[in-house]
Amino acid sequence: MSLMVWIEKQRNLIDFVLSSLLRRKGKNFALIAAYILIVFVLASVMFLTHALKREASIVLRGAPEIIVQKMTAGRHDLIPKTYARQIEKIAGVSSAKTRLWGYYYDPLFKANYTLIVPELFKYEEGGIAVGEGVTRAGVTAEGNIMPFFSSDGKLMNYRIREVLPADSELVSSDLVVMSEADFRGLFGIPEGLVTDLAVSVGNPQEVLTIANKIKQQYPDTRPVIRDEIIRTYDAIFDWRSGILLVIFSGALLAFIIFSWDKASGLSAEERREIGILKATGWETSDVILMKFWEGLAISLTSFLVGLLLAYIHVFFTSATLFEPVLKGWAVLYPSFRIVPFISAYQIAVLFFLTVVPYTTATIIPSWSAATVDPDLVMRT
Amino acid sequence: MIVLDKIRKVFNQGMPNELVAVHGAALDLGSARFIVLKGPSGSGKTTLLSIVGCMTRPTSGRIILDSREISGLPERFLTKIRRETFGFIFQQFNLIRGVTALENVMVPAYPRGEKYSLLRDRAMALLELFNISRKAASRAEWLSGGEAQRVVIARALINNPSIIIADEPTAHLDTGLSHEFMEIMGRLHQEGKMIIIASHDPIVYESGLADMLVGMRDGRIESVRDLA
Repeated sequence: MSLMVWIEKQRNLIDFVLSSLLRRKGKNFALIAAYILIVFVLASVMFLTHALKREASIVLRGAPEIIVQKMTAGRHDLIPKTYARQIEKIAGVSSAKTRLWGYYYDPLFKANYTLIVPELFKYEEGGIAVGEGVTRAGVTAEGNIMPFFSSDGKLMNYRIREVLPADSELVSSDLVVMSEADFRGLFGIPEGLVTDLAVSVGNPQEVLTIANKIKQQYPDTRPVIRDEIIRTYDAIFDWRSGILLVIFSGALLAFIIFSWDKASGLSAEERREIGILKATGWETSDVILMKFWEGLAISLTSFLVGLLLAYIHVFFTSATLFEPVLKGWAVLYPSFRIVPFISAYQIAVLFFLTVVPYTTATIIPSWSAATVDPDLVMRT
Repeated sequence: MIVLDKIRKVFNQGMPNELVAVHGAALDLGSARFIVLKGPSGSGKTTLLSIVGCMTRPTSGRIILDSREISGLPERFLTKIRRETFGFIFQQFNLIRGVTALENVMVPAYPRGEKYSLLRDRAMALLELFNISRKAASRAEWLSGGEAQRVVIARALINNPSIIIADEPTAHLDTGLSHEFMEIMGRLHQEGKMIIIASHDPIVYESGLADMLVGMRDGRIESVRDLA
């Protein structure tokens, strides 16, 4: 059979399949709608989880290799600046910087902020820079005064000098950046103490050794390695997407049963049709090929539409439906525009989970029907 | 030329409901071009037609088509012969519901891989030939008995077969339509097609068109009359 004949044959079969499908519009549209919904949910969870993990790892890429915290009776405590100078002397450590940061709960707007002090703060005391989420939650804007209650209960007013650009909103949305003096004043932290230390290590191979050395030298500290944070993030997002999938697995199972029933049970009418096709000169392989195209037309359409909807949902509407579960506990949900990121592996997994089983379920029953003698139509 | 040699067909062989539909039928159609198989219901006409048309295999016996034995051929070859040699007209019309009359005519030709537009033109031409092209876009179930019959004839001709096989074609037609059907068969016969019809309708076997009349009863060939 020449290639052109083969192509024409497939075209003719597809044409017939499409007009056959249109005959049972209601049933087939319901099936496709359910199918699209399943692909949409699966793909949304998959896209969002991967994008969040990627986002988190991009953010953490700039983070120090080791963070050293001081522990007092098992609780995180402020660490003396002097530790930094000693740690810097450990061979392999390129720098050990002190960090000042903390969480602040704003009772007025019922929001959590992350307050940090940068190495160099370009505004004078009393000035702050805030993330976009903060301006949204506090219904405020650049140039306004923002009130805080200090650790001793005093009202402190800071002026918003800048709204931070949303490079990675997931992390910077709830940020409040301020000067060291303001931070110490607000939290009541004495000079000489900081929140934790950021330790940079030149050779990644040495990170673990150096962390052990720090632990030995200062048994009251806890060195946290960056890779561990990344792993924790991954685990959390995997866990969250797992929860979503468990919730939707009921729907998935219902769909599997529905599609199996639809695809595997050939009605008397369908059997008769196959009989007619065979009687008028179709080979068994032609019937199976037609059923293959039918399964593929339904599953591929649903797959592509579901995928497209999930893409729009996740990357254009910021996964509005699953946001509360997947993004976290913070009260300030960043209005999130995740950078579109899809891997071929994700698509392939989704394809093999949805399109392949359905198409197979469509072909198998027609196989047995197609081996029936065509004279069936003569006798009925 | 078709020769049937000791054809026997048993349904549900070895089961309690075993049924011998054809008992050792032997028939040489010779040079006959218009054959009518005549007999009451259950006489084995339809089964014999199915066997001649390569739709079903005989339990034993041989079928020779144009000096070639075809009864032992694998399914694929039988399908090819069925598609290229025979056009079928069924008692129940057997049109595919929900698709248009035009598509029903085109269906047997789909696996051949003919260009869609050419195939559609040929199907349209056949519908025009039988004066039914105005119903081309109608769904099969919307056609009246006479219209459906003409669509079925067009479908039987789409692959340009040399032999037309019709099983009780007038069973669902009134007298006028039955005469019209026989007229069309006469025309096709004149154009060189071989016609084999199974029927117990006098309009068919008394039409004067047949050149061979085969009488059947209880699965056996009772009489063969050469009318040529």
